[in-house]
Amino acid sequence: MSAASQEFLRKAIIKSSDLEHRALIQKGMLSYDAAHAKGKSRFADWEGARARCSAVKAEGIANLGKYLIEFEQKIIERGGHVHWAENAEQANDYVVDLARTRNVKTVVKSKSMVTEEIHLAGALEKIGVTVWETDLGEFIVQLRNEPPYHIVTPAMHLSRRQIADLFREKLGEDVADADPGRLVAAARVALRRAFFSAEMGISGANFLVADTGMVALSTNEGNGRLTTSIPRIHVVVAGIEKVIPRMSDLAVLWPVLATSGTGQPITTYSTLIRGASIAGEPDGPREVHIVLVDNGRTELLADAETEEVLKCIRCGACLNICPIFRQVGGHTYGSIYPGPIGSIFTPRTDSLSEWGHLSYACSLCTACKGVCPVKIDLPKQLLLTRRDFIATGNVKPAQRVGFAGFRWATASAPRFRLVGWMGRKALALVNALGLSGTALDPMRVWTKYRSPMTLPKQSFRAWWKENGSKNGNK
Amino acid sequence: METNKTAESKKTGARERILTRIAKANARPRPSPPPLVPLEAIFPPITNPRQRFLDECAGNLTEVFQTANSAGSIEALKIILSTVPPGEIYVQNDSKAELTLHLLRDAIRQLRPLRFSSEGPPAEATQASLTLAHGFVAQTGSIFTSSSCGGRGASIVPPCHIVYGRGDQIVPDIAAALARVPSETPGASYVGLITGSSRTADIEKILVQGAHGPRRLVVILES
Repeated sequence: MSAASQEFLRKAIIKSSDLEHRALIQKGMLSYDAAHAKGKSRFADWEGARARCSAVKAEGIANLGKYLIEFEQKIIERGGHVHWAENAEQANDYVVDLARTRNVKTVVKSKSMVTEEIHLAGALEKIGVTVWETDLGEFIVQLRNEPPYHIVTPAMHLSRRQIADLFREKLGEDVADADPGRLVAAARVALRRAFFSAEMGISGANFLVADTGMVALSTNEGNGRLTTSIPRIHVVVAGIEKVIPRMSDLAVLWPVLATSGTGQPITTYSTLIRGASIAGEPDGPREVHIVLVDNGRTELLADAETEEVLKCIRCGACLNICPIFRQVGGHTYGSIYPGPIGSIFTPRTDSLSEWGHLSYACSLCTACKGVCPVKIDLPKQLLLTRRDFIATGNVKPAQRVGFAGFRWATASAPRFRLVGWMGRKALALVNALGLSGTALDPMRVWTKYRSPMTLPKQSFRAWWKENGSKNGNK
Repeated sequence: METNKTAESKKTGARERILTRIAKANARPRPSPPPLVPLEAIFPPITNPRQRFLDECAGNLTEVFQTANSAGSIEALKIILSTVPPGEIYVQNDSKAELTLHLLRDAIRQLRPLRFSSEGPPAEATQASLTLAHGFVAQTGSIFTSSSCGGRGASIVPPCHIVYGRGDQIVPDIAAALARVPSETPGASYVGLITGSSRTADIEKILVQGAHGPRRLVVILES
């Protein structure tokens, strides 16, 4: 069992019994559920919208090379720089070098999961650059030295009281009544100073548009706009899978992303960036650099079974619907990407033996498959991840023995009857001796927290023989 | 010099290696993609774009002043400015704005210090901005703008953004606005659809207006 796997189990127990945390997540998720349902009702055909988004993203992935080259060419034509990075190190080295040669002291960042994935902020801080996360939620978790809790709402695990305490301690701002409006105002003041002193702004990308060579960025707070408008250098860090064929595809992708992310009809600032500012424009960056990050994505692409994972648009809908996420919360996963998509993406792109256990943080209820706006078959991908995790030798001896026994017992009817009979007798004995829930109980995983199940007197086959025909069945 | 060359070749190497891996995977035969579901089937029809625009603005908290003529627009602007704290107003003044905004500009010249987009970006202390737009989107109640509407900062730095436009600039949906991007914003380094004021719900999912950008987005819509 990997250390990360033990850590998951330890945190899951703590979090699922933390009543304050449960109440906060419950409240957040209920408000999301209502907004999401209302958002979907604005569509004449939500399923049609999902099908179209899925097809558009699939088209981008199936012709990834062609569209990336088209995008790159358009960007370069307008004086932008495109850098390709195979892994986190190459991406970070490029941005760190850029910061060094351009004499950058302060960086403002808008929310970007790929920069979390490659730990870009840490790499910049190592050479003495001050990095400000400017998305409010991201800013809060940065002040707490925490990773984001959720890919869309990074600080949803914190109460306004906790945030007020944090601001008092770290910003010297006393918002006594913890009013959200005044907390936001306090953060705005601190971050405005950062925006106007930063030499470099770093953003992610929601989409890279091939036919027009544009970076599409969605932001509600407007921090993404300030990040890309005020500093003299703009760096975009984006996974290679973000490319879409046409600008016109945004007519459906923008509303679907916003609906799935927050329930909004469209994100407040739905932005397209062609490059650095041109002659006659009063402001905007003088340099634009785009870092295209692979970091394991071509491995997902290499396998016909897994390439659909690259369709993900990071809306967070699968996290919000997941009954496991709702119990254990985002930090329990220990990975940068939590929830169903994270439990596939992280083991596949980082390390299967270290993170493969996350694919078991799933009851196979398939709710995520029903909400995914690009129709990724998440339950199937979780099963495939389990299969490959086991195939690479990550199997406990007890599982090996257990499944060998199961296979033996289910391969013939008499054996199945025998094992069923033995099981009923053995459990009856365990319960009679009062051993239920102890280390000697084979059902301990269930009975540790629950009373023992009432055991049937006979097998289902025997019961059916006696009673099945009573109801007119044959 | 030597290190530069090595860095350069390493960089090119990464590009080629990534593209080679992609090409190999993309060469794999795939089932032919399903036909795209038409947009007309996905979104309900918009029968009255102007009414839809007004309804959506009410929903996303954009303030709209409907005026009949330029005298009405000047009046509306004065009303808006009476609620904006004292200080500088940033005004778009490129050649396009020269034709349409001069009446509004002249009307507030006596009331407020003005700073023009031709003089550079808005200052952090700017209280409001006045710009044009390329259009308005009925489907979502959005302002279709770009860096050729007074730059990038005009729509994000001041706490109040005032947009002046005409009713015939309303397009039915996002698709129609996107179709106009090449002709309306040739070369502009930034293009955007702005839907309501800056907002966040990052603290306990409670909506707060004016996170980093404008707390108020105001449209003067002249017939």
